[in-house]
Amino acid sequence: MQLFLEQLPVVFQSLNIGFLQTLKLFIVTLISALPLGLLICFGSISKLKPIRWFCHTLIWIIRGSPLMIQLLIVYYFPGLVLHTPLWGGGESGRFMAAALAFSINYGCYFAEIYRGGIQSIPIGQEEAGLVLGMTRRQIFWKIKLLQMIKAILPPMSNEIITLVKDTSLARIIALQEIIWAGQAFMKGSQNISGAIWPLFFTGVYYLVWNGCLTLFFRWLEKKLSYFR
Amino acid sequence: MHLLEVKQLRKSFGKIDVLKDISFSLDRGKTLALIGSSGSGKTTLLRCLNFLETADGGSILVNGETVFDAAQKGSISEEVIRQRRLHFGLVFQQFHLFPQYTVLENVKLAGQLLARAKPDYRGHAAQIERELDDTARSLLDKMGLSERVDAYPYMLSGGQSQRVAIARALALQPDVLCFDEPTSALDPELTGEVLKVIRELACQNTTMVIVTHEMGFARDVSDYVIFMDQGVICEEGTPDDVFNHPRQERTRLFLRHYYEQ
Ligand SMILES: Nc1ncnc2c1ncn2[C@@H]1O[C@H](COP(=O)(O)OP(=O)(O)OP(=O)(O)O)[C@@H](O)[C@H]1O
Ligand SMILES: [Mg+2]
Repeated sequence: MQLFLEQLPVVFQSLNIGFLQTLKLFIVTLISALPLGLLICFGSISKLKPIRWFCHTLIWIIRGSPLMIQLLIVYYFPGLVLHTPLWGGGESGRFMAAALAFSINYGCYFAEIYRGGIQSIPIGQEEAGLVLGMTRRQIFWKIKLLQMIKAILPPMSNEIITLVKDTSLARIIALQEIIWAGQAFMKGSQNISGAIWPLFFTGVYYLVWNGCLTLFFRWLEKKLSYFR
Repeated sequence: MHLLEVKQLRKSFGKIDVLKDISFSLDRGKTLALIGSSGSGKTTLLRCLNFLETADGGSILVNGETVFDAAQKGSISEEVIRQRRLHFGLVFQQFHLFPQYTVLENVKLAGQLLARAKPDYRGHAAQIERELDDTARSLLDKMGLSERVDAYPYMLSGGQSQRVAIARALALQPDVLCFDEPTSALDPELTGEVLKVIRELACQNTTMVIVTHEMGFARDVSDYVIFMDQGVICEEGTPDDVFNHPRQERTRLFLRHYYEQ
């Protein structure tokens, strides 16, 4: 017990640093994947066949293969196969590789969610707007967007909560996120070794963060419940 | 001069000729009832008038001005089409109200967007917005909906929804207001309230084209009736001509079929 209390501050400090990295990866992925997904979505319903074909293929490859493999390829492919180490060896290189892999992966998932949202809006909404002399731009911003956001909110919150947990996959390229930080105390770090509880304890961080997100999405859904 | 003139309108979807050489005209303040069996092309005709479909042949004139000519289709920008379709209003069978806006906002929205795009909006904004609000409220009052201005569409009955849709179309003061089976999506006991407001509009000399399966209503609201069959005008005339003295065998068959139901 004495020992545990001595370990506590050291472990917490270490886990906090790891969690910051996890959070950073989460936020950067979200910020880039949300618009990227929109781009891929528009591409996948584009009138131009090559663009549509490209986006469908991209979505198929990204959704059809494990994110962990995508991470490994993005990180190691430039250096080991092309012999042009793109990422450098340091933590910032690992972070950029992870952020890129996550953004593409989640961009594809978001694209499919957006597509579902766009297609869930009855064609009559667009036609009603057109008949009332609205431009296509006005119809998108004034009529469709909010309905679309409302429609995609449940699948979106689901996907974003999955993203929180998926960030742990970046461990595979030794990104120093929270799982990595917890694991370090098993192998030995800062005079603590053979301790498994810090690794287990990382779960609490995920739980708390996802709890916050769940509350946020519930609030947002409630905000948009004034219409049906 | 006729307010609306449709000349030799043609439209096909792939190999099916849905409209074959449709010509008719309508004077200001008159009501035209468009009847015909399912698939005869009534909806397609209204959609061509409202530029939701592009006709393959023929032309459309409003007040003598050519608003559509198939000979020059494709060379006309989306912006010009947008301006020209303001000559027409369309009330859909399924209402298509905007769910995230209140009844009042539904009626006001399009007018606001049009007003705000005009150069003289700046400087007169408050006055213009007030006028738009007044217009919308008085239209809703006319539709018997003054109690429901702040309701959202999901809170309304079908009959109320359709009356909001009518107010929304009227707010832009179209030259010709088109209705596509305005009561077909309603419970029978709710059709009356919608037909009543359309009757009132007819009395106030609104120019209207009404597609309907309600023969009794068509007979007493309209000034002129067109019976369409398989993409052509099979018979036309006053309600008395068409309903009481049909000359065409197909018209008789259609009417008999209707009365037997
Ligand atoms: N977008 C489309 N693509 C292909 N065919 C179409 C399309 N729209 C309509 N049609 C066809 O055109 C024909 C006429 O359809 P339309 O909807 O104009 O008939 P209608 O007279 O309004 O019938 P109803 O009384 O059932 O509403 C039908 O055979 C229909 O299948
Ligand atoms: Mg129809």
